[in-house]
Amino acid sequence: MALSQLIINGIVAGAIYALVASGFSLIYSTNKFIHIAHGATIAFSGYFLYFLFSMLGINFGFSVIVSIIFATVIGYLMNILVYKQLRRRKTSSLILLIASFALLVLLESLIILLFGANLKTIKVMGSITSYELFGGFITPIQIAILITSIVLLIGLYYFMNKTKIGKALRAVSNNKNVAEVLGISSERMFNLSFIIGSGLAAVAGVLIALEQSIEPMMGTHLIIKGFTASVIGGIGNVPGAILGAFLLGGAETMSIWFLPSGYKDAITFIILFLFLVFRPKGILGKRWSE
Amino acid sequence: MIESYLIHLLIMIGIYLILAVALQLAIGYTGLMNLGHIAFFAIGAYVSTIFTLSGIPFLLAFIFAGIIAMIFGYALAYPVNRLKGDYLALATMAFTFVIWSLLINLKGITKGPLGIANIPSPSIFGFQLISPFHFLILVIIIAVLTYYILHKIVRSPFGKVLEAVRDQELTTKILGKNTLKMKSYAFAISAFFAGLSGSLYAHYITYISPSAFTILELLPILAIVIIGGLGSLRGTALATVILILLPESLRFIGVSASFIGPARQFVFALLLILILIYRPKGLMGRVDID
Repeated sequence: MALSQLIINGIVAGAIYALVASGFSLIYSTNKFIHIAHGATIAFSGYFLYFLFSMLGINFGFSVIVSIIFATVIGYLMNILVYKQLRRRKTSSLILLIASFALLVLLESLIILLFGANLKTIKVMGSITSYELFGGFITPIQIAILITSIVLLIGLYYFMNKTKIGKALRAVSNNKNVAEVLGISSERMFNLSFIIGSGLAAVAGVLIALEQSIEPMMGTHLIIKGFTASVIGGIGNVPGAILGAFLLGGAETMSIWFLPSGYKDAITFIILFLFLVFRPKGILGKRWSE
Repeated sequence: MIESYLIHLLIMIGIYLILAVALQLAIGYTGLMNLGHIAFFAIGAYVSTIFTLSGIPFLLAFIFAGIIAMIFGYALAYPVNRLKGDYLALATMAFTFVIWSLLINLKGITKGPLGIANIPSPSIFGFQLISPFHFLILVIIIAVLTYYILHKIVRSPFGKVLEAVRDQELTTKILGKNTLKMKSYAFAISAFFAGLSGSLYAHYITYISPSAFTILELLPILAIVIIGGLGSLRGTALATVILILLPESLRFIGVSASFIGPARQFVFALLLILILIYRPKGLMGRVDID
């Protein structure tokens, strides 16, 4: 494969991972636990689109919007129905992680029960024409992925840094107690972080469903990527997560130069393990509890 | 018919009991949230399979399954030594992913995603354990021995030191104990029994593939350990029996055979979440997770 093609693939993969990682990282920084069930939000978004558009034949644009809203609601409900109940008892972040792992398995097995275990594709256009770019090829959906991802990430940056509510969110993530003294409700900010984070994951789910295909385990695969990207950048650091996402996308596709393509995922896992063990703070991170 | 069904359930209870009490030693008694347990199970299954298929007698392959898993467990303790709580959980989870992707990619040894079929039934001193009933006797002997040995370990002075590492690692260090060594022993013992269990599993099912050893397969074992209660071997045994038998009722309410797998995972995940919310100490737990 040409080098320019690998670079395009790496950037597209990075753009998807960035959507997953930024939402995951936002939820981590506000709530201080690892929401691994974030993967289930992604998978549900893809399956909602399949259900509405491919099975029921509803208008495409409308299906996309409704899928994103439904998947966001799933993320929000996980917080209200499970995490909030656990927080009330002041449980440790480790228990929240285990509960989140259980939620991921619960929702993935629900997908298998509802839709079956096989791979499904969502056909939107009859034939896909690729555009040539610096000697490589890029499909319209990949262009859509890049544009959506860039627009949303800039929007997220603006929201977090320029709006009052975004600053309140960061205040809770920096110091919950001080923020509460200043009259910011941390429960409301927890909810908000889940809505924004899950919304980003839902968009990623729709884009992946359109670019590749959907299968019940897709959420697990993607949250590992998103999570690895966050760890590379410094967990809980949203800009770091985005940087980590593009580095991971690049590292994965570049590994195809040196190794059989089957090792692509193995690269992610090894990077994750090495970072956790040797540089748990990541590249940009400073917050890392002992 | 009913008899062979009961034998099957008892064998599964035995295999899961070994896995769960081994994990209980790491999580409940030593405070190591090890989510890499399924990797040791996988290593045991593959080692035993590959050894017996190359003509090594079952008993020897069985013991090697334990020993090689133990070496991995011992080695894993060193890089993750400084990590605690969530980060230990995640690094060990990443270890599961690394082993899993090696099983998929080292096709020359593991046959990759296709897996290995026609694993011979165990033969001990010339006596071939062909019938499930004979296999059950073997499983019962190993499960009872495992339980007895772990019971002895947790009651011994060594077991008390492990509990001290769990409760007050720094104090234990100050008192002159090498806590890294203690943790690596706990990892090694836990991995040893997981490896033995993997060997039994492989020779019972007679077919193994990487899909049997994903992180999702950890959920039932983790659910057993937490529902049984941390720091209680009796609770673990009780929870093993309950969690293996309970989903069987799905068969009798007419859930079709192809849905049993995901339905069972769904039930385990739901039970785990409910226990974490309403009874975090589990059935007979003595300590909290933190």
